[in-house]
Amino acid sequence: MSKIDPILLSVYARTFKSITDEMSISMEQTTRSPILCEAKDYVTGLYDADGRMLEQTENLPILAFSLAPVCKHIRKLFDGEIYPGDVFFHNDVFSLGNQNNDVAVFKPVFVGEQLVGWTAVKGHQADIGGNVAGGYNPNAVEVWQEALRIPAVKIVERGKLRRDVWNLIFANVRLDIVQHDMKAEMGACTVGERRLVELLNKYGVDSYEAHKQALFDATRKMMEAEIAKIPNGNYAGEGYVYFDGRHVGSKYTIRVDIEVQDRHIKFDYSRTDPQTNGFVNGTYTSSASATILTLLQMVNPDIPHNEGMVQPIEIVIPEGTILNAAYPKATTFGNHLCPPNADAIQRALAPVMPDRVTAGWNNLLASLTTGIDPGTNEKYVDIGFMGLKGGSGGMRGTDGYDHIGMIDASGGVLDQDYEMFEQQTPHTLIRHELLTDSAGAGEWRGGLGVETVFEIGSDDTQLVTFGDGDFEPAFGLFGGKEAGLNFIRLNYPDGQTVVPKNKDLITGVPKGTVYHQVASGGGGYGNPKKRDRKLLREEVRNGVISKDAAMRDYGMTEAELKA
Amino acid sequence: MALKIGIDVGGTFTDFVVTRDDAEPAIYKSLSTPSDPSIAVVNGLTDIAASMHPPLSLEAFAPTIDTIVHGTTVTTNATLTGTGAKCGLLTTEGVRDALEMRRGIREEQYNNRYTNVKPLVPRYLRAGIKGRLDRNGRETAPLDLDSVRKAIDLFRQEGVQAVSICFMNSFANPAHEQAAAELVRAEMPGVYLSVSTDLLPSIRFYERVSTTALNSYVGPKLNHYLDQLVGRLKGIGFKGLLLIMQSNGGVITPQLAREKAALTLLSGPAGGPGAGLFYVRPHGQNKCITTDMGGTSFEASVAVDAPMIKNDGEIARHKIALPMLDIHTIGAGGGSIGWLDEGGMLRMGPQSAGADPGPACYSKGGTLPATTDANVVLGYLDPGFFAGGKMQLDVAAARQAIEEHIAKPMGLSVEEAAAGMYRVACNNMAQGVREVTIKRGFDPREFPFIPAGGAGPIHSCLICEELEIPLQIVPRESSVLCAFGMLMSELKHDFVRTFVSRFEGIDWPQLKTIIDEMAAEGARQLVEERIPEARRRYDVKLDCRYIKQYHEVSFLVPRELIDRRDTAAIARAFHAEHNRLYGYSLEQENTPIEIINVRVQAIGVTDKPAYREEAWAGTDAAHALKGQRAVYIPETKAFKEIPVYDGHRLRFGNRVDGPAMIEQETTAIFVSASYDCAVDALGSFVLFQKGREDLVQSCVKETKETVS
Repeated sequence: MSKIDPILLSVYARTFKSITDEMSISMEQTTRSPILCEAKDYVTGLYDADGRMLEQTENLPILAFSLAPVCKHIRKLFDGEIYPGDVFFHNDVFSLGNQNNDVAVFKPVFVGEQLVGWTAVKGHQADIGGNVAGGYNPNAVEVWQEALRIPAVKIVERGKLRRDVWNLIFANVRLDIVQHDMKAEMGACTVGERRLVELLNKYGVDSYEAHKQALFDATRKMMEAEIAKIPNGNYAGEGYVYFDGRHVGSKYTIRVDIEVQDRHIKFDYSRTDPQTNGFVNGTYTSSASATILTLLQMVNPDIPHNEGMVQPIEIVIPEGTILNAAYPKATTFGNHLCPPNADAIQRALAPVMPDRVTAGWNNLLASLTTGIDPGTNEKYVDIGFMGLKGGSGGMRGTDGYDHIGMIDASGGVLDQDYEMFEQQTPHTLIRHELLTDSAGAGEWRGGLGVETVFEIGSDDTQLVTFGDGDFEPAFGLFGGKEAGLNFIRLNYPDGQTVVPKNKDLITGVPKGTVYHQVASGGGGYGNPKKRDRKLLREEVRNGVISKDAAMRDYGMTEAELKA
Repeated sequence: MALKIGIDVGGTFTDFVVTRDDAEPAIYKSLSTPSDPSIAVVNGLTDIAASMHPPLSLEAFAPTIDTIVHGTTVTTNATLTGTGAKCGLLTTEGVRDALEMRRGIREEQYNNRYTNVKPLVPRYLRAGIKGRLDRNGRETAPLDLDSVRKAIDLFRQEGVQAVSICFMNSFANPAHEQAAAELVRAEMPGVYLSVSTDLLPSIRFYERVSTTALNSYVGPKLNHYLDQLVGRLKGIGFKGLLLIMQSNGGVITPQLAREKAALTLLSGPAGGPGAGLFYVRPHGQNKCITTDMGGTSFEASVAVDAPMIKNDGEIARHKIALPMLDIHTIGAGGGSIGWLDEGGMLRMGPQSAGADPGPACYSKGGTLPATTDANVVLGYLDPGFFAGGKMQLDVAAARQAIEEHIAKPMGLSVEEAAAGMYRVACNNMAQGVREVTIKRGFDPREFPFIPAGGAGPIHSCLICEELEIPLQIVPRESSVLCAFGMLMSELKHDFVRTFVSRFEGIDWPQLKTIIDEMAAEGARQLVEERIPEARRRYDVKLDCRYIKQYHEVSFLVPRELIDRRDTAAIARAFHAEHNRLYGYSLEQENTPIEIINVRVQAIGVTDKPAYREEAWAGTDAAHALKGQRAVYIPETKAFKEIPVYDGHRLRFGNRVDGPAMIEQETTAIFVSASYDCAVDALGSFVLFQKGREDLVQSCVKETKETVS
């Protein structure tokens, strides 16, 4: 084994990071689906020969922590048959995928004949077959009604594309752009492969192996040091899921039991409710990702993202629970169980980490419109990213972030630009603004939510909703107040108002219908009466907090308002 | 004898380069005066006058100056420190928060303590106005001038200094913006006004409103500064042409800079990238990587025939969509502080000791170890010859800082720790270079590397080894490269219009009209700047993409292709550029292409400093040898006595084999054990990988003779 050079160690760490960043830029610039190039709903990563994480660029963290497990799975499954120039596809949720639409590409990296690592990209594809375009099928009960399953498939062998397999896959996918976007994923993997090979040619495989291990060890120590700051003990918390898409009034509970023992932390979800009969079910890796990304927000944000970071974390999610559905259940909604899962963790740890937890974040409520644009006679598909982004929870010393969106993305997913939205859809934007009084009051208030109003410009429009947050608002902490509720409403031209359920499929929406959505704010932290008065006066002046709310929730007096 | 002066105002020093037809460029530096930067300008001009033969008074010297080209950081600093004007915004009802929401991004996803930036206009001064245009620019609701009046009343009452106007879909029809602007001009004479379609009539609302608001935010400050500068220059009798450096690498008159202040947000470093091209020409090259290492930051950029441009820049987390040079900045400089993270790994920067207190060796109270401290310990800097001996460096203080904060905790010797700091700093800078090369589809190995800034050439060998770049060129003016580059800049005016059309259905007469209108506007400005017709040029660019892509590729289109309506040739140019950038094109698939924007750049060609070749002086460099010094050699990880040369005495053709040090008053060059050095015809120090004599043929006498 090669001797550890502490300086070279920094060089490796920095270079790994720049490789995954470079892969990410390649994706952003070349993909076509707005979900990828505008919203950046993808992750790029670098793994060692055994599939252990070296570094990742996590634009959407909920996808991120299923890559290493799948990489290990492919390594084992194809042992002895992995060659230079191979490329693998994977999306299967019953072999460690997180969501059907999140399709991954894995590329083994060789120096000579020796397997030294893997590059991988996973992105949310605009379509992957199944009953409903775009993949969100609130009526699904089995995986086949949701998507085409792609278990680990070798799509390129020794540099040669397996054309028949390619054709088989894309014969089952609706949109042509998915083929191009999968090529973009493969291209980004090649970009990463080249850079890793360059690095190893310079320093040699022995040096890389030794330093990689040292990097894992250093990172593990950083993570352990963070965990050691949490007092030893057992902590429990709950988060709630409303409506499974099939049974009106249904409610499910996520229960986490957290055990902290010195440098080790265990998340046990054994007491969580059983799986649903609809598509509101998690997979093991989407639920574990949710756990990791929530914990990462409570520790030093500079910890590198590699195998060492996850080593001190143990996660138990029994099969058959809502967080880990058994084969062949439908699971497309699983990524969106992250917000209630995060709620459970924040509630559990609040008493012992009061400086690190946040109050509740606004839960996701999203919609997807499809139809024919009468101006161009072309089909459009739009995930309303701008409408779904509410506020984050306040924490001690810092207000929540306005209009950041769901915790599983944490500000990594962006709004459509308004003018591009009007070019790409026939809709006319009427309002997209911060919503007054939507934030939970507190000494540190929640982030503000937004209100979105647009006029639908196509006839026979189809609307799919998926989400939550219309029954229970983001919670407050330590005297902070809860925020408001989400909603989506359709005002038809004939005066009729339709309120879709939070998981719903509405067809035949006529042109001229006004779409109205609120993504509300985050919960407040601490007693609102203690909030800085100067700041409050500014907020009242700026109209993000009304005068009434300032007096009612924050206890401002007329005199204080005028000062 | 045309006398031209380039002036670059930096944080610590204001740099001057003086060129005349019959003399070598001369370098001067004066201490910057941040409260009123124009004072340092006049101080420097006074020094320059006194150094003339015979010495002149400032009043006698100033009238002889033909041109001053000036780079300023006034607007940059106002944005970075949040000290711009109090602004109001008129925008479409319903979208007044776009400026503040910034499309909902949080740049640090896992950091719940990371807060949003303060908006450039506070919410209560962002007025939503009724009135609407559809996506094709057709009016669907008339502009409500009453609510504009109400907003103006509020702005007046609040003492607003600058007003911005940006309405939805105005890129397709500026009528509403113009009507509102007319009212503002009438009701608020003297207020600084920015209209989005005057600045940037292109699609993407957030980019446009952010750019417009930035213009207003910095406009009053820049105007105030230009009043001071123009006043002082007039006061000393300067009668020549004053030009201001803009972010796109061109220059403009002060009048235009006053109106479009946002054009100067990158004014300071914009001279560098173009200057690099001047120095690679003797080597038959048309491209280079130019880097500039200062006290706190390291800047990298690429030029191929001309510096690379980007249309989606950012400053202090605010978007700016005006064309600007693609200069990548990272927090790495002489003042960058070394520290150990929680995992015990060595990091350098981005925190910087700056110039005050500065690195520990400056003896100004700094106790944390900085890059410069490592350079002193490793022997790259002569403590007695820093800034030509004007400043003594404290080696003991440097050693102590490194010992305490790096060496002891890591269990290394001071020298090992310093070598580590040097190496990590170089690696950081190499990653910065990757940002503008590999990430933009360029292979850095094919580019000559130009290290600028006083400390740049100490680090360039290791950076180049990391990137496998075989050729470096260190200009004699490398410590003031930006100021020098300003003297080589053209007058440049950028125009853009959104024109959405598929290739197969282009309305050619309409396209031609748009281009002609933009060119006419450019011509009007060039006429005002007294540029004769023979020196005017108009470059046309199209921003295109494959149908349904989201990001466009901007590429140059020869005017005759448009006149000939040669869609096929234009498509080929697009496929080629897409392939270069992203490694593939969809030419085979016959994927349709669409145009989004049309751009015209009007260029007025200025006089350049003369290109003077030195006489060949033979390969022997012994006459310039001034001693020996123990210096750390990264290749062997050991110190070694190596020769030190006086750079001022090295001449065309002289050869210095690495490892060696070459020192000038304002620059030290470390030629590592992997490189040798030859001096070229311009007097630049050309470092080439050992054995690669083929790269420096132009520095060899035999070749020169056969050529001439």
